[in-house]
Amino acid sequence: MLPTLLSHGWKKLSRSISFEREMVTTVLLGLFVVIMAGYAIALGYAIVPIITKTLSEDDPINFLNGFLLYYFVVEFVLRYFMQNLPVLDIQPYLHLPVKRNYLVHFFLGKSVVHFLNIIVFFLFTPFALKVVANMYGFAIAINWLVAIWFFSLVIHFLVVLFKKKLDDTFLGLLIIVGLFSFLGAADYFGWFKLSEVSRKLFSINTKSYFPLVIGLLLLAVTYWLNVRFFLLSMHPEEIGTQKRSDSRASYGFSFLQNFGVVGELVNLEVKLILRNKRPRTLLLLSIFLLLYGLMFYRGSTKEKIPDVLLFGIGIFMTGAFSINYGQFLFSWQGGHFDFTNTRPFSMRHYLESKYWLLSAVIFICFLLTIPYVYFGWRILIVNGAMMLFNMGVNVYIIMNIGLWDPQKINLSKGSAFNWEGVGAAQWLMALPLVLSPFVIYLPFSLSGYPNVGIFSLAMVGLAGIILHPYLLNRTAKRLLDKKYTIAAGFRKD
Amino acid sequence: MVSISNLKKNYKGYTAVDIEQLTISPTESFGLVGNNGAGKTTLFRMILDLIRPTEGEIQINGKNVQGNDEWKMYVGSYLDENFLIPYLTPEEYFQFVGKLHGYKKDDLQAFYQKFEALFNGEIIGKNKYIQDLSKGNLKKVGIAASFIGSPQIIVLDEPFENLDPTSQIRLKDLLHTERKQRTLSYLISSHDLTHVTEVCERTVILEKGKIFKDIRGSENALAELEEYFKG
Repeated sequence: MLPTLLSHGWKKLSRSISFEREMVTTVLLGLFVVIMAGYAIALGYAIVPIITKTLSEDDPINFLNGFLLYYFVVEFVLRYFMQNLPVLDIQPYLHLPVKRNYLVHFFLGKSVVHFLNIIVFFLFTPFALKVVANMYGFAIAINWLVAIWFFSLVIHFLVVLFKKKLDDTFLGLLIIVGLFSFLGAADYFGWFKLSEVSRKLFSINTKSYFPLVIGLLLLAVTYWLNVRFFLLSMHPEEIGTQKRSDSRASYGFSFLQNFGVVGELVNLEVKLILRNKRPRTLLLLSIFLLLYGLMFYRGSTKEKIPDVLLFGIGIFMTGAFSINYGQFLFSWQGGHFDFTNTRPFSMRHYLESKYWLLSAVIFICFLLTIPYVYFGWRILIVNGAMMLFNMGVNVYIIMNIGLWDPQKINLSKGSAFNWEGVGAAQWLMALPLVLSPFVIYLPFSLSGYPNVGIFSLAMVGLAGIILHPYLLNRTAKRLLDKKYTIAAGFRKD
Repeated sequence: MVSISNLKKNYKGYTAVDIEQLTISPTESFGLVGNNGAGKTTLFRMILDLIRPTEGEIQINGKNVQGNDEWKMYVGSYLDENFLIPYLTPEEYFQFVGKLHGYKKDDLQAFYQKFEALFNGEIIGKNKYIQDLSKGNLKKVGIAASFIGSPQIIVLDEPFENLDPTSQIRLKDLLHTERKQRTLSYLISSHDLTHVTEVCERTVILEKGKIFKDIRGSENALAELEEYFKG
């Protein structure tokens, strides 16, 4: 059974119309993983001298133990953003003599095959072998390492559950924001120090096998919770109706009716976003990312943040939704592409509606980042320039990425097994968007005029906005050229 | 008027559609039959500019459909579920399509009235998304939407499939009455020989992409079709 399921998975990938696109992202991701692994190993070796020499801590184990809980928090966030979940279309197997349990175990097992699940070994093996083994012996060193790995896997399964269950809800967002504010407040008001808790917790790890057992137990519990959740999700319909009952309200903006066909099309897409889980999650995610600035800007009162970082933050905060939603720009409505082609509006109208939607979201995100002016005017100026650049240049890059072998996204398939969420591959697509401003900015900044660079970014963006009728015509032409291929692809399931 | 000339669609290794000449007059109700793989849906998709022909062209009212948006104003169509928007309720969908055709509220009311019998109280006011409808009700929504904008030509792929017997009869009545009231031409494909001969005055048998027989008039059509499909 296992080889059959694996081969089905491979066939699904290799016969998919977006195979080329997926292969390119996979290869790039693979390279990225190799680089990351290299860094992780290097860091693992450097940890000891960093702790003893640079930070002049005399007990490196004690220090690292105090740091571990922070590490797990970071890992949670990293996993949340970088790890997409495997997809298994269970419907075709449900009526066949395959045990339901087996499908769930297969699904969860597949999710474990991920770089982030072994990153612990890259990071901590050198330390375990060099320091822990020296002090406590080899057995304890292995014990220490494996226990940490177990906790890392516990986080993996928590993230899987979290992504499937709470991701879409406001509650999920609240839990994350709440957790972080609580930890921050605890540190700030001195209720307890996370590092102290972590130190106490993990120092037991070097004395007994108790944490190892606890880790294993927690792992079993989280795994069991996952199995239970997915077994209950075997009836796609039940999950579906549950999801739908709360979103029946009539959304949409009536003022858009004043903008003719394009307004109607934007209105339609707003409904698409608000009524379907996947795009709705992207929306929540980009709201969440607006808080991202807080992390970086806070330190800016003391020292200047490099422009490179400011740019990255600016692009993401104003463009996160457009980047994530836009790379599947045509796939979302792939299910009714034939409708789009046979109803009385042109492809140009269709594209224009998408342009205005993306631009509007970018603009709204910018408005929401205005309060960051509290940390300095420069932040506002950079974010403004990034907004203009996103609206004037990146939007077209996004549209063209969306035109690259688009595959239909089946929105009505509400099954818990069939929802990938946001993963590393999606962020990879953001690379050209993040790098593009530097093409303009670097020449100026290297010759000593960074402000002129920011100004020209804004100007180029503005030019793109002013020239949008012309630029949209060009993209519309590409869309028309590819129309038949795209339509044929979308008709395949 | 739909006129097809030297139309060919080649796929790897075989020809799906190969029609030298076919003209469907503005008042004709035209039926298309043929076994699976005969090229019925491919032909309809080419008429709606959803597939690019390998050779030849299709003109609607004298203009090539390819790369042209004009015909969309007076051609209504429903081929399959790709023509529906799953995350809307049927009313929202009708409103949306109506707006594209410049419908006002009253127009929409008149439209609902026309389809009251076919909808049988299961479509309007149910507060259900299209994605949650049954196959038969999906078909009703799609067929109804193809009538929005009072098109001169309506293209339907297997309109009777998945409908219950009552709905089939009501749909037939609807198709008849609508055509009595104004200049309207249907292009309908079907596997149901009785229905297609009842609704259509002209029936074409497609075999391996080619026109095998062009039967005009509906008196002996059913017998002729049965004779063909027996073989």
